Amino acid sequence: MGKPTPYLPFTRREFLRFSSRGIGLLAFSRVAPGFLVESVAAQAPAPEKDRTILVLIQLAGGNDGLNTVVPYADPHYRRLRPTLGIAADQLVKIDDRLALHTACAPLHRLLQEGKLGIVQNVGYPNPNRSHFRSTEIWETAAASTQTLPTGWLGRYFDNACPGAPDPDPCGVNISHELPQSFLSEHDHPTFSLSPQPRGGRAGRDNLPLLESLLAHSPDDHGNAGYLRHTMMDALVTEKRFQKILADYSAGAEYPATPFAGSLRNVAALVAAGTATRVYYVSLTGFDTHSNQPGTHAHLLRQLSEGLAAFQHDLETKRLDGQVLTMTFSEFGRRPSENESRGTDHGTSAPLFVMGPRVKAGLHGTAPNLAVDRNQDLEFSTDFRQVYATVLDRWLGCDSARILGTGHRTLGFL
Amino acid sequence: MSDPLSTLSPQTAWEPLPKAQWDESAARHLLQRIGFSATPAALVQAQHDGLGATLDRAFARMPDFPPPKGITDLRADLPALVESIRGTEGAEKRRARQRARERSREALADLTLAWLKHASRLENSIAEKWLLFLQDIWVVGSDKVKNTILIHQHQDILRRHALGSEVALAKAVSRSPAMIVYLDLQESKPKAPNENFARELFELFTLGEGHYTENDIKQAARAFTGYRQRLGEFIEARRQHDTGRKTVFGHTGSYNGDGIIDLAFRQPAAGTFLPREMARFYLTDAPLPGAHLAVLGAWWAGHDYDLRQLTLRFFGSRLFFAPEFRGNYIKSPVQFYLGLLQDLDLQVMPVPRYVIGALRQMGQMPFNPPNVRGWVGGRAWINSTTLAARRQVVNGLLRPINTEALNADERHALERAQQESSVRFSRDEAWFEQWASRPDAELTAQLLALAQPSPPSTELAGQIAAFVRNSGEYRATTVRAALAALLESPGYQLC
Repeated sequence: MGKPTPYLPFTRREFLRFSSRGIGLLAFSRVAPGFLVESVAAQAPAPEKDRTILVLIQLAGGNDGLNTVVPYADPHYRRLRPTLGIAADQLVKIDDRLALHTACAPLHRLLQEGKLGIVQNVGYPNPNRSHFRSTEIWETAAASTQTLPTGWLGRYFDNACPGAPDPDPCGVNISHELPQSFLSEHDHPTFSLSPQPRGGRAGRDNLPLLESLLAHSPDDHGNAGYLRHTMMDALVTEKRFQKILADYSAGAEYPATPFAGSLRNVAALVAAGTATRVYYVSLTGFDTHSNQPGTHAHLLRQLSEGLAAFQHDLETKRLDGQVLTMTFSEFGRRPSENESRGTDHGTSAPLFVMGPRVKAGLHGTAPNLAVDRNQDLEFSTDFRQVYATVLDRWLGCDSARILGTGHRTLGFL
Repeated sequence: MSDPLSTLSPQTAWEPLPKAQWDESAARHLLQRIGFSATPAALVQAQHDGLGATLDRAFARMPDFPPPKGITDLRADLPALVESIRGTEGAEKRRARQRARERSREALADLTLAWLKHASRLENSIAEKWLLFLQDIWVVGSDKVKNTILIHQHQDILRRHALGSEVALAKAVSRSPAMIVYLDLQESKPKAPNENFARELFELFTLGEGHYTENDIKQAARAFTGYRQRLGEFIEARRQHDTGRKTVFGHTGSYNGDGIIDLAFRQPAAGTFLPREMARFYLTDAPLPGAHLAVLGAWWAGHDYDLRQLTLRFFGSRLFFAPEFRGNYIKSPVQFYLGLLQDLDLQVMPVPRYVIGALRQMGQMPFNPPNVRGWVGGRAWINSTTLAARRQVVNGLLRPINTEALNADERHALERAQQESSVRFSRDEAWFEQWASRPDAELTAQLLALAQPSPPSTELAGQIAAFVRNSGEYRATTVRAALAALLESPGYQLC
């Protein structure tokens, strides 16, 4: 060939311009990521701007629910937590039974402003206490007796994204690993941003050749095909996203934590009108087997301050109505503390939902604490009911197709 | 051509590869999978020696890895550091603690770099990759084990047992101070046994999920009570040990930890667990058929769980060379980086910030797996972030080091390393000028030979040839761009 293939088209518009210059759709159909080709071929309309967005926050390691939403008035709590129990004057009260950890004061303010819901005692039958298995159960929305190859959000992408004319990824994760939730039956563009600030930029003079190698590779199956598609999508999206993040001027002050930085990046992408429907952000370190109090307070503070800044930013930009934020953790912790001033793997725990369209306050019922030493909590709300509510009432996707039938929706939306 | 897996029965699968099938392609497959690269010289040697002799030599013994300076220094200063924390109060105590942590972090960077340097030497690579595999099973992580002395000691324990019996290895690991900290044995006592270690011993180290009950874990946890460590020394706190009777896997007795480990290795699942993990780490993303694993597992259990025997059998088997396993495995970040150094004949740059930063961005910190499961591997290595990091590593190795960007310590380390011998940390203009002086066809062939693991398609060769032909007056720059693109392309991410 006479000269290296030009850069991949940057945006849908650029792609159309290339095509109209006679370079031709066919020439690009092997170079460009599938979604660009499909979008032009289908003459599909531009994506609407008012779509709803889900921001999922993973609290990895198993968050101690009882010391997050604290049943401070229950004598059983004092019995189960003789040293880890938090004194009533060190809490921010929700009502005469329940209170939030003081590190959650920013969330308490959101609760009072009517923007925060707490779904109590969420779990599933026959709980598994392995981090990996229980994370897998939450991320795939499987029964604990069942293994599913796809994630609940991946199945949502399968149902909502095929043929979507967007140049944007369906899902963006800001975590070290691709979340299992995103695994899908069909290929969808997803994008991973590093939770750490990025170093220098890679050289540019070899990009045209690399793009041409990708375009003309004969391998389209197995790991070679996977690498090729991931690399093409990444090259196109990366150029755009880096510019968006660099140019963003936030509407709120974020704390200087990597978690808050990740949320700032989510806000930047939402504010840029990115068509991404799901963001996944991970906060790790909740596996507090020993010396829990300091570690747990520090984590809850990062979580609360980060979420509050994010919400404020969205409000300043008038984007808050579009975004629902929700936390989850693979399990709660054992009600009785252990002898290492920590807690071991348990079962159910509360989760937070945040946004102006959320029905604020407590949902579901609090766990019954009349349990023996080392006995676990019995869940009262199935996590798939939470997912069903989000799918049906927020993402506008029939939850039965993603989760199967029989998951009654809840009142928080 | 070797047999496809579908024609290999569970019995024939583990027979040695027939001599006639030991060709260049098989040798390349072996070297890339059990090591980090297949350099031309190593390929010639392996073909000359034969498969059996190549494996015998590779797994003869674990190479010595003397503790790097950061570790010996920290060990010497540890009593004073501990004293400075114990003997102070308030803000001063906080400062002392911070100093100790800082020292440990520096030692970790030193250890990481020293190990990478050691593992990058061709004569050590295969054994060190085996050790990396064992570290991916018997996981501890520096995020939780904040004393680097223990991290180094744990690797040393695995190194000592890496080619012996896995039962002995398991018992040694249960006494590893790093493990005692990592999985919370430190405060486990009869009144309150901590289940973390017992659970992972069964789930992630020896048997796998589904091969034990919650009650097995609760009972086994009692047997490991009283395991303590103090400043890197294992201690059995007799009065904190539960001597009572425990029922595990249907056997009742007053077992201690070693007794529980013996019981675990009497479970049939113990024979197949490690081979299954080996297949995942070395061979394929898809699990091997259970029937095939069962045959190897029974054989291995019958050979006292000898790890050296297992490596020879596994890596020398017909199954290991089956065609569906060739050239389609995604390299781990450590393999990608060390393989690049070997292919380009470069050494680990003695600047932790660059090297460790690159590995972090690619998603693999050698002494700090993300959690007790270790690294998932396969496609999980690949996303837009890690791919960008891989491209950045390639570009860094194909340019002269910008010493302006280094701080004084780093510049000093670099100069010291360069004085020691004629080492190179990256390729500069002069190297590409040499390439550029060659005729087009030869240049194209050499670029492809260096960067493409398997014979390139005519289309790929054509593209490189055209790129080289149109290089114009900046031919050295073109050579660099071509090599970079090849090393960044999907073909080089696979082995």
